[in-house]
Amino acid sequence: MTSRLEFWQGNIASAEGALAAGCRFFGGYPITPSTEIAEHMAAKLPKRGGVFIQMEDELASIASVIGASWTGARAMTATSGPGFSLMMENIGYAAMTETPCVIVNVQRGGPSTGQPTMAAQGDMMQCRFGSHGDYAIIALCPASVQEMYDLTAKAFNLADKYRVPVFLMTDEVIGHMRERIIVPDAVEHTGRPAFVPGTLPFKPGADLVPGFPEFGKGYGTHVTGLTHDERGYPCATNPGLHAALVKRLVDKIESATQKLADFDVVNPDAEQVFIAYGAPVRTVQQVIHDHPDRKIGFLRVRTVWPFPSHALALFKNARRFIVPELNLGQIAREIERHAKVPVTSVPKLGGELHTPGELYAVWEAGA
Amino acid sequence: MSFEDWFRQDRLPHIYCAGCGNGTIINCTLAAVDAMGWAKEDTVFVSGIGCSSRAPGYIVTDSLHTTHGRALAFATGVKMANPKLHVVVFTGDGDLAAIGGNHFIHACRRNIDLTVVCMNNQIYGMTGGQGSPTTPRGCISTTTPYGSTEPAFDLSELAIAAGANYVARWTSYHVKELERAVKTGLETPGFSFIEALVQCPTNFGRRNKFRQVADQIEYIKAHALLKAKRDRLLEQGERIPEDMYVVGELMRRSRPAMGLAPTEVKP
Amino acid sequence: MKLAIDETRCKGCNLCTKVCPYKIFKEGKLPNLRGIVVPELDRPERCTNCRLYHLYGRQLCGVCQLTCPDQAIHWVEEEPYEPHKVAIEY
Repeated sequence: MTSRLEFWQGNIASAEGALAAGCRFFGGYPITPSTEIAEHMAAKLPKRGGVFIQMEDELASIASVIGASWTGARAMTATSGPGFSLMMENIGYAAMTETPCVIVNVQRGGPSTGQPTMAAQGDMMQCRFGSHGDYAIIALCPASVQEMYDLTAKAFNLADKYRVPVFLMTDEVIGHMRERIIVPDAVEHTGRPAFVPGTLPFKPGADLVPGFPEFGKGYGTHVTGLTHDERGYPCATNPGLHAALVKRLVDKIESATQKLADFDVVNPDAEQVFIAYGAPVRTVQQVIHDHPDRKIGFLRVRTVWPFPSHALALFKNARRFIVPELNLGQIAREIERHAKVPVTSVPKLGGELHTPGELYAVWEAGA
Repeated sequence: MSFEDWFRQDRLPHIYCAGCGNGTIINCTLAAVDAMGWAKEDTVFVSGIGCSSRAPGYIVTDSLHTTHGRALAFATGVKMANPKLHVVVFTGDGDLAAIGGNHFIHACRRNIDLTVVCMNNQIYGMTGGQGSPTTPRGCISTTTPYGSTEPAFDLSELAIAAGANYVARWTSYHVKELERAVKTGLETPGFSFIEALVQCPTNFGRRNKFRQVADQIEYIKAHALLKAKRDRLLEQGERIPEDMYVVGELMRRSRPAMGLAPTEVKP
Repeated sequence: MKLAIDETRCKGCNLCTKVCPYKIFKEGKLPNLRGIVVPELDRPERCTNCRLYHLYGRQLCGVCQLTCPDQAIHWVEEEPYEPHKVAIEY
């Protein structure tokens, strides 16, 4: 079999990407605009020897995914705004217990029930900081149906490698868009870090990630969301131990920022640079396409968390970064933290994308 | 092999207060698991948050100590992803009936092949004795200082109504009966729910006129009404005292179950 | 077989004194080094399991062990009884 051409919806592509990556468990709950992923998994997973279960709420969906992940299965869930908020507690649990899992968030307008059928990028900070306490996660942002497929498959590899929840932070536009996709005949499949029997279950290797002692193999692993020592035993009143554990959970991701970074650079010698992720990428691409005579810089980010701050330095002549987002400037604030030049946030709320004219006007105003 | 072999000896003694009944329930559950002859690598204990939920930390098998109320949802994931594993859930009344109530009724409805042992101490013990959904009317807790005014949940009736295959209730005094009930629960395909009433001397007994552990045990023993006797009383048209609770095997049926290991599926 | 209480685990709740059919466990009187009043054993050779474990080849009764919330009660093997001559000097 060779790669084939398809015309798919973004959500379907994400589900197919997960299936290609060997996802064997999906615990879901219906929520617009992510439901197609659950529907597709419900149809396809049982035929491939996997398990689809519709849980009673999102709290339970993510819980079942974490439980399934500990049996060694690749497990995922998909949700949107309100469901994502409900998942937060157990996402913190997954970060603390270093459970690999993939969470697709097809973002919609918030807060609260907001705009169920309109696009937004308002959960970008929530996915990074939403659960209580300090931790770090990985978030990927696709901007096309092709990337919905590719990045979902990649998310599983990253989740396994770093033993961390990985988010596919897409939005309603990309999730419901239909476009051409080239489906590869196979995707890369890297496993979880191997556990050496007889060693301590939460003793990290050189990359700060411990081996994965999955259930059912006789390792006798105790998994707890309490602060635990390297044996996995709760030890919640030792200040040094807690500090070291949380520091490691954050460091294992942040020290890998360069390795995790996934971005494209257009016109690196430009003076004004657009930075975008997700759906606004398409608008910026249109602006560049419409004005071939202008030097429009573009940093197009796929791995938003951990944010690849080193990419900003690639634009040596940059005078200004312009960040169009479907929120009130969440990642713009993160960029401001790293950038040495002014950052202009171009927020857009309401569910519609920026028009190329709007973005070009911002660019031209500074030219 | 005895149930003592299932303990992580390096973790004992456990954190429970003197006289707490949770240790007794763990003994009975492990004795039943031991009697099943299950291999340690095929058995997983799952729990939520609370006094009862610290139990898996003292057991040598793979164990998952999860977030408050979600134990059944985690256990559902474990069981569905690998039906060969035997999954036993330890939970408490607050964990199961309050914050996890929705997961409880849905796990019963799905009739998923789990065995749930609920240590019902009628109080939130870990946080210092607040009223729970099973605190009997009139009982004193730190959040019901004038006596609880809310009616209490009957967890076993709830499980029966929601569709569990096996439901039994015993107490920390009836150790042999409890062990047998847990074993029957482990043998039964589908959702098995064993409610064990336990004494909490520190947070319940102290505020409710049980000055000694033994006083509360005596109360539990004296107010347990065997199901057979209850049925007889009902038949004779006699009144059942309101402060008594029914103990015994309350339900055994074979509704279609989920998450059975491949060999267990009957045609 | 011999009945034994593990003093490092016992928390002194005295539940064992309520459940033994022979009333072998008696409430203790003096606190041990951990400040816990561990129950005392009153003629433990009366215990069913002590007497009959080897005869039946399985655990008998065992209610005290199941009840003990602190996993402090267990049985230990005794040195087999060896008759030996005692020389008595008159």
